[in-house]
Amino acid sequence: MKNQNIDSIQEYKYGFSTDIENIKAPKGLTKKTIEFISEIKKEPKWMLEWRLKAFDRLKVSKEPNWQKPKFPKIDYQDLYYYSAPKSMKEKPKSLDDVDPKLIETYKKLGIPLNEQKRLSGVAVDAVFDSVSVATTFKDELTKKGIIFCPISEAIQKHPDLVKKYLGSVIPINDHYFATLNSAVFTDGSFVYIPPNTRCPMELSTYFRINASETGQFERTLIIADKGSYVSYLEGCTAPMRDENQLHAANVELIALDDAEIKYSTVQNWYPGDKEGKGGIYNFVTKRGACRGKNSKISWTQVETGSAITWKYPSCILQGDNSVGEFYSIAITNNYQKADTGTKMIHLGKNTKSKIISKGISAGKADNTYRGLVDIGRKASNSRNYTQCDSLLMGNKCGAHTVPYIKNKNSSSTIEHEATTSKINEDQLFYCNQRGLDQEEAVSLIVNGFCKDVLQQLPMEFAVEAQKLVGISLEGSVG
Amino acid sequence: MLEVKNLKATINSKEILKGLDIFIKPGELHAIMGPNGSGKSTLANVLSGKTGYEISGLLKYKGENLEEIPIDERAQKGIFLAFQYPTEIPGVNTSNFLKTSLNKVRKARGEKELDTLSFLKKIKVISKELGIDERMLSRQLNVGFSGGEKKKNEILQMKILEPNLIILDETDSGLDIDALKTVANGVNSSRDKKKSFLIITHYQRLLNYIKPDFVHVLANGKIVKSGSMELAEQLEKTGYREIS
Amino acid sequence: MLENLKIDISEIDKIGKFTKQEKEFRVKNLDFFNEKGLPNKKDEDWKFSDLRQIVSKNFKKLDLKIEGSKNENFELIKDFDHNHIMIVDGRLNSTNFQFEEKEKIQIKKFLNENFKNKRERNPLVHLNHALANNGYFLDVADNYKFKKVLVIYNIFTKNLNDNILNIRNKIKIGKNSELHIFEIVINRSKKNFFNNTFDTIDLEESAVLKNICINNEKSSGFFHKFRKNRLLSNARLNSFIFPSGPKFNKIDLEFNLEGKNSECYLHGASYIDQNDHQEIKTRINHLAPNCKSYQKVKKVLDSEGKGIFQGKIFVKDIAQKTDAYQLSKAILLSENSEFDSKPELEIYADDVKCSHGSTSGSIDEDSIHYLMSRGLNRKEAIKLLVNGFLNEVIETIKSNSLRKYIQEKFESGFYEYKKH
Repeated sequence: MKNQNIDSIQEYKYGFSTDIENIKAPKGLTKKTIEFISEIKKEPKWMLEWRLKAFDRLKVSKEPNWQKPKFPKIDYQDLYYYSAPKSMKEKPKSLDDVDPKLIETYKKLGIPLNEQKRLSGVAVDAVFDSVSVATTFKDELTKKGIIFCPISEAIQKHPDLVKKYLGSVIPINDHYFATLNSAVFTDGSFVYIPPNTRCPMELSTYFRINASETGQFERTLIIADKGSYVSYLEGCTAPMRDENQLHAANVELIALDDAEIKYSTVQNWYPGDKEGKGGIYNFVTKRGACRGKNSKISWTQVETGSAITWKYPSCILQGDNSVGEFYSIAITNNYQKADTGTKMIHLGKNTKSKIISKGISAGKADNTYRGLVDIGRKASNSRNYTQCDSLLMGNKCGAHTVPYIKNKNSSSTIEHEATTSKINEDQLFYCNQRGLDQEEAVSLIVNGFCKDVLQQLPMEFAVEAQKLVGISLEGSVG
Repeated sequence: MLEVKNLKATINSKEILKGLDIFIKPGELHAIMGPNGSGKSTLANVLSGKTGYEISGLLKYKGENLEEIPIDERAQKGIFLAFQYPTEIPGVNTSNFLKTSLNKVRKARGEKELDTLSFLKKIKVISKELGIDERMLSRQLNVGFSGGEKKKNEILQMKILEPNLIILDETDSGLDIDALKTVANGVNSSRDKKKSFLIITHYQRLLNYIKPDFVHVLANGKIVKSGSMELAEQLEKTGYREIS
Repeated sequence: MLENLKIDISEIDKIGKFTKQEKEFRVKNLDFFNEKGLPNKKDEDWKFSDLRQIVSKNFKKLDLKIEGSKNENFELIKDFDHNHIMIVDGRLNSTNFQFEEKEKIQIKKFLNENFKNKRERNPLVHLNHALANNGYFLDVADNYKFKKVLVIYNIFTKNLNDNILNIRNKIKIGKNSELHIFEIVINRSKKNFFNNTFDTIDLEESAVLKNICINNEKSSGFFHKFRKNRLLSNARLNSFIFPSGPKFNKIDLEFNLEGKNSECYLHGASYIDQNDHQEIKTRINHLAPNCKSYQKVKKVLDSEGKGIFQGKIFVKDIAQKTDAYQLSKAILLSENSEFDSKPELEIYADDVKCSHGSTSGSIDEDSIHYLMSRGLNRKEAIKLLVNGFLNEVIETIKSNSLRKYIQEKFESGFYEYKKH
């Protein structure tokens, strides 16, 4: 009945690749590779030892297999663990020294790095494959005592902070991919907010995978000291390639007394093509510790990319009165698979957590919410509220909800609700009658469905994310 | 404006409309009255292009056959349906929705899209004219609206989109007198030579405020009687049984 | 030791003589069981109930043979007319269908005829296949509606002593037939015993079964029941379970909605105290269009009681227009009690209405406050609220005499709570 304009369906718009000369570590996961990474990063000895300890542990640990999306066996010996543009070998002193090809790449991605065109109010750390290319607004932040730099730089310049906190939330023996990351991580961001400081701008890292046959293993560490506040964002894209690429990041957050960390992700790694070929395996470990009393960690994620997404940003609520939040949108289309959710571990008294998850599944995709709420014996007067809603488009896709709920405290309350349904026909009819075509109507209704999560994102990114929600579902109805 | 001949509509193998005729010229206001289950809402749905019905017969709008035209394109061509039960759409801001809708219609008419500022200006004038509280526009579309607010919102949209054929599906039902007046005001102030109205109603009440040119009685899927305003008055006295 | 419980093949011969085919089936299943042993918390389905640990903590041995032979007398329920089946230590003892047309009903000892060697998720099903020696098969003909309720007395005697019982039952209800069953567990045993039951319930087209099950007498029984329900089109199954009392009780219910327009309902209420451990696990498989499922499970946990609810709703791609609802609610009364739940949805059809909810926590302080402002003391207020919370489930039983009987029986099981 309706003419669909096939040309209007947008392809993955970040699918280009940058032709640039690289320095790579030798292929394979060996002690040599780890030593290579450590040396090229000019790391102190303790760091190499730490990596090797993780490597030893890796030899005896196994890949997890309980998650819903199964993936073909990864040949860890057939991957590059380090790849960086040659021009980055000696770290450029200023942006003028950075290879123009890199500047151009980020410009194409909508992340201008030059002084004049920078995003106002957002400091950016740009990570290209295994190195950080540039960090903006550094001077302005330094004046306030805020450290925002590549983690490789922090290992050299702030070893005490790194030693104290690295691996303190995600121990090196946590699980296979976390251990792998600990052994071979290359770059990522480091943030330290000094006591009683409110970070004056959004901090953000933009991750880009470019090289082929390369895994990206970034590591992010954020410490909010007593009474401080920071809002941090990450964005990710990768070129379209037929092969599957592995991305196994570790992110650790630490909030001390009265501190607050807001961590937002817009994940748009290459999802693979319509037949399910290629795409990123996004196996990420993200965990925050509310160590101090009255601290707060809030995760917001918009997951639209990747062939397989497998991540559970979690909060360990140790401090009394601490608060953990998780807001998530996961959209899967074509052959994408997502298994995502959170863990809220209540240990302190009067701890509160809130989980809002919106899953949308179309095409032949599979979308799972998996979560744990655990209120311990000592966590008196604690509270959790969870709301998981799933939307299905078509009967070739799946939506699953797998919550684990444990309550060991009689003064604490857990409430969990979940629904699954399809897009309401009446809503579609109403929008159509007001002149919106099918795709616009779907985009509008889905954005409405996701609103509780979208409104958690900082302004600049909320608009982007809204568009992304629409684009990700194009071609899924008709 | 609208030409309907021998229109039949079937849903779930049940025939609802059984050969309906109606002819509306530009500038005319027709009222269709009928008891529950006579096919009033089905007629509104079918005219707007709602899917799920098997349809036969002639359906022409501005001389064009509507058969193959989907809902959104009919809307863009100027057919507006004020819903009996406007749908709630959570998370969607009313004013954003209106702007999207207006710009779709304007684009189809070959007009320039309105920017946010001129849109807000326009909406302000119209809501004032209709006596609608502007705060309604910043709420989620129809979510938590009272019955009256929902219907006012429909009339507001009608005013803004400036359609040519306006179908009101029992817009008067369940309204208090103030909301009823807002609806009537909206309709009366929109009447001109280029617009036609089809007002579907159960009661004569609304017709005391909106004077129709023609009144039809729908019963059992057919128009059984047509006439002027007196017909509506007669119905009010005798009920539907006498007529059908 | 029981941590690595392995059962010797010779035990099969001790049960009786079997055909070659059946023998093979039993041996194969025993192999499957011995391979895995008793399930522990590493098995996803036993995550919250580590049976291996529980058994090895409470049993020194698990005997298949019952030594004692004391006879005991039991009184039938006098509150309402009923047919009955009496089962003593798993053995079909007597039946009485005095209110019914005899030719419509067949009851006999269960005989397995389906010897498929299929690997099951649950090792206890293999154990049951291998060693089942008792059970009944009730067959109700087409177009027959029972006139009176059928009471199944399940009696456990003093003869039990560290025994394990493997019982296999089956109920088949023919087309357009209707049966109401009231199952009641009566416990006389003082010693530990393990009861491993596997039930199959088949509802043919338009059959109706109402099933009420109460097992709330305090006992050192360790109960595991796996019940597989199968519903053909337009069949309706309404289950009520009141499973408090045993030291360990895991009820694993599977509902297969195979025919369109079939419906199943599950209502549960339990009060769990001392250090009792109770798990209700459900799996509803929506396999055909237009089916409905509804689950409401309520628990009150006192002293060191631990309650678990694992419920999964599965909707196959062809099962459009599915309407599935699940709710689990728990009240924790003591600081050493615990409630865990895992409500799960796995959905492959889009035109569905599926939802679940799970809440747990203390009793509502506002309600306590309200009742106290009307002159009740705190204890009385809590009692009233707990009663109301659980009674809501019992209230949905339509038959007056049965409901009254269950209400009394149910409240008599609130042991710890009487001490408050």
